[in-house]
Amino acid sequence: MDHSVPDLLVARAVEKTFDRTRALRGAEFAVAAGEVHGLLGANGAGKSTLSKIISGHVRRDAGELIWRGALLNARSAKEAIGAGITMVMQETSLAPHMSVIENIFLPELGRPGRLSYRRMRGRAGELLETLGIADSVPLESEVGSLSAAQRQLVEIAKALALNSDLLIFDEPTTSLSPLEVERLFAIMTRLRALGRAQVFVSHRLEEVFAITDRVTVMREGRTVAGGLLTASLNQSELVRLMVGHDLGNAFTTRPEPVAQGGKVVLEVRGLRCAPAVRDVSFAVRAGEILGLGGLVGAGRSETLEAVFGLRQRQAGEIALDGQPFHPRKPVDAIRAGIGFVAEDRRVQGLVPDFSVRENLLLGHLGAHRGLLLGYGRRQQEVRALMFRLGLDDEHLLDANILSFSGGMQQKIIIGRWLLLRPRVLLLDEPTKGVDIATRASIYAILRELAGQGVGIVVVSSDFDELLTLCSRVVVMSDGASLADLPAAILDEEKLTLLAAPRTSLQHNSRMLRDLAEELGGAGFWALLDGGRLCCLDVVVANPGADPGFRTGSVPLIGECLVRTALETPANGFVFEPDRSRQTLVIPVKSQRGHDMGAIGITLAGGAPTPPSEAIRSRVQALFARLT
Amino acid sequence: MNQALDTKALEPVQARRAAPWLRRITGTLEIRMGLLALLLAVVLSLLSKHFLTSTNLFNLLDQSVVVGIVAIGMTFVILTGGIDLSVGSVGGLAGIVLGLSLLHFPIPVAILLGVLTGAGLGLVSGVLIGRFGLAAFVVTLGMMAIARSLAFIFSGATSITNLPEALNDIVYKSFFGLPANVLIFLVLYAAAWWYLTFTKGGRTIYAIGSNREAARTAGLGVTFYSVLPYVVSGALAAVAITISSAQMMSIDPLAGINLELDAIAAVVIGGASLFGGRGTLIGTLIGVFMLVMIRNGLNLLGVSAFWQGSAVGAVIIAAVLVDRILSTRGSR
Repeated sequence: MDHSVPDLLVARAVEKTFDRTRALRGAEFAVAAGEVHGLLGANGAGKSTLSKIISGHVRRDAGELIWRGALLNARSAKEAIGAGITMVMQETSLAPHMSVIENIFLPELGRPGRLSYRRMRGRAGELLETLGIADSVPLESEVGSLSAAQRQLVEIAKALALNSDLLIFDEPTTSLSPLEVERLFAIMTRLRALGRAQVFVSHRLEEVFAITDRVTVMREGRTVAGGLLTASLNQSELVRLMVGHDLGNAFTTRPEPVAQGGKVVLEVRGLRCAPAVRDVSFAVRAGEILGLGGLVGAGRSETLEAVFGLRQRQAGEIALDGQPFHPRKPVDAIRAGIGFVAEDRRVQGLVPDFSVRENLLLGHLGAHRGLLLGYGRRQQEVRALMFRLGLDDEHLLDANILSFSGGMQQKIIIGRWLLLRPRVLLLDEPTKGVDIATRASIYAILRELAGQGVGIVVVSSDFDELLTLCSRVVVMSDGASLADLPAAILDEEKLTLLAAPRTSLQHNSRMLRDLAEELGGAGFWALLDGGRLCCLDVVVANPGADPGFRTGSVPLIGECLVRTALETPANGFVFEPDRSRQTLVIPVKSQRGHDMGAIGITLAGGAPTPPSEAIRSRVQALFARLT
Repeated sequence: MNQALDTKALEPVQARRAAPWLRRITGTLEIRMGLLALLLAVVLSLLSKHFLTSTNLFNLLDQSVVVGIVAIGMTFVILTGGIDLSVGSVGGLAGIVLGLSLLHFPIPVAILLGVLTGAGLGLVSGVLIGRFGLAAFVVTLGMMAIARSLAFIFSGATSITNLPEALNDIVYKSFFGLPANVLIFLVLYAAAWWYLTFTKGGRTIYAIGSNREAARTAGLGVTFYSVLPYVVSGALAAVAITISSAQMMSIDPLAGINLELDAIAAVVIGGASLFGGRGTLIGTLIGVFMLVMIRNGLNLLGVSAFWQGSAVGAVIIAAVLVDRILSTRGSR
């Protein structure tokens, strides 16, 4: 980044207090035209608040914003948009009952004068085309019927339609598949070339390194590093800036693989719970932390809710300690020894008018039989628990729960279930919106619990968290579980590609199917890494050419039926030594040169070998266009 | 473990504990409202020498009984975040059922039939609201119209006056120096307060009003305890009308008209939140007394009945406003 370019927007000494929480205490930020500026920080560092202040959604208490060299005092998002600043919100800000086109032009609907529907249609069509969703998202469809990823892309289209000079992307990639992320980055690269300023808020560091020119790091409402060149940093320096110290053991050590002794405590088979859950199976052993990975909207939360009796099941079996289990309501699950920490503690966890004590005892109250409360006999345990959560002052029991930090509230809600000594604990995004130190202590609590033989299921969109905390990960996509893998052989890249919604991979699947059918064999898409193959998709048209692995499986390359082809770099088809199969392996890259694994075509050994060059160029052309 | 973090989490609580003693006292809702009621009593006794006489104080208590009993049920309903507009009409219909039953059955059976009528109508409203998720406002508005119309049909649109003398006992017979109606009123308050404070059902009602989803997730019986308050409310409306019928020795199909407004006013003055989850029966009791004191005081001062509505309305708004200003949690 050339520092002679004047900053387009400067924020100085911005302060903001919500109720009792000081969200910002002197935040500094500057972004220049023609750059992508990463805004980083742990949860609660204030990056969202700062973004919302810049984009006029929230008003600041103190400090100043300078926009094109003049003071900016936007009193609403509308005024900020008028000045040329737009924020891409997370998908929740769309109007669910309006059509895609109405949502895209929602900001314009507020303007006086008549709208040209034909002009809007044309423009919206172009925007969806650049985002690559023109075929899958009709302009007239209701936004509520779209997937999480599609809604996020519509939200981006809505921001692009405004043609703003400064675009702020607030964690835009949380629900996107890797292909969609690549496409978004291509658009951001183009906007950068057009001289637009862009702010990219994210906690996925690899994305930050891939797209940003400079980064600003925030911690506890303050800017701790402003405008550092991305190229001058490495990952661990960035983490140290975000956290303020080295992270220590909680984040670096992976859990010991569970001693094989643990019995299966909870088993779910073929769970169906329309519309979000189609076919989910998994099993948790005593003393094991199992992760349910996937993107937002993959049906993970709904799966946990069905196991806990909060949702009616249409099909599938649940077994608890080997016994069939049919929870019809939460109390059935609670009395059977299951605890559930829901995703959004404000919606499903906290009772805001209750004291800490009563919030801690709420699960007890639910499980309790009898007319009275039965609080008395829990007194000793409550005290012990409070000590363990770091709240060893008696007075605090009677304080209102809302006077505590989000992290402490979350610990209290987890504590609610610890009090009941569950055999299985289900947690949905247990560290969402908590500070990094609390996160470490939640990890410690969960590990200790697993050590006592509790079976734990964690849903998380943070793949790093899954890999750190869990010994096994079940990957879900579009309501189905499709891989069950030890965390030790996974990394974030494999998880991301496995978790991609099948709907956004349909072009790839179609290509594989076309090739497999035309050539009378099988097609697969896989990552090859560290002696293992991670199969992302496979289509078998001829059983004689079946490569032997399924979507989501991660076999050792040396054990594959097509191992010779996978191990031998070659331009054409490679025969296995027994001449049972011949395979063409084509490495694929995205438009921006990112490694996207390999496409393989396997044919029966006896089939005539087709010209490989034609297939190769066809696959690579398709891939470049898709991404 | 995590010393630095834990002390930080405690900051707000520490700050609150350091607040001046006055704020701590006014921090309790009942005390706040009690002080306000006391202030009102002092003002009224200064304005009228008749106010602070034992006859008048007994009068106050007597006038509190009917609205006070209805306000108990209304507190249950409002704590879950609902509202019951039908109490006046349901009470009116239950009164007619009582009057007609008295012609055929002994007094206790007739009273039981009246109370069951109230509870049954409450059950219908409650199931529609708690089980099928209809809006409480709409359902009880409908029930209000239905019950009143049935009261007219069953009574032939005239008052029932040939009531047995013994019915009068439930108002005027004395126990421990207190008239029966006041005793019933106090016993009902004590029982309801105990239920809301010390039982699983009571705490569930609070939890539902505060955060229904959290209550469901914690395994509490959300549906049952969403329905129950409407049953209690209907039954207590019938009890209240039974007492007022016995007082007047006449049952009118118009009995209980506008009773829902007084009951809601008392609950709100008592500091309950219409969004649910916040409020106490002690607060409601104070609200009832304040409401009755204003009416009584204005009567003693010879203020026209037409002005009383304005005064009551102003007090309702003032009570809520004062509470908002004093409340430490007003910003939420």
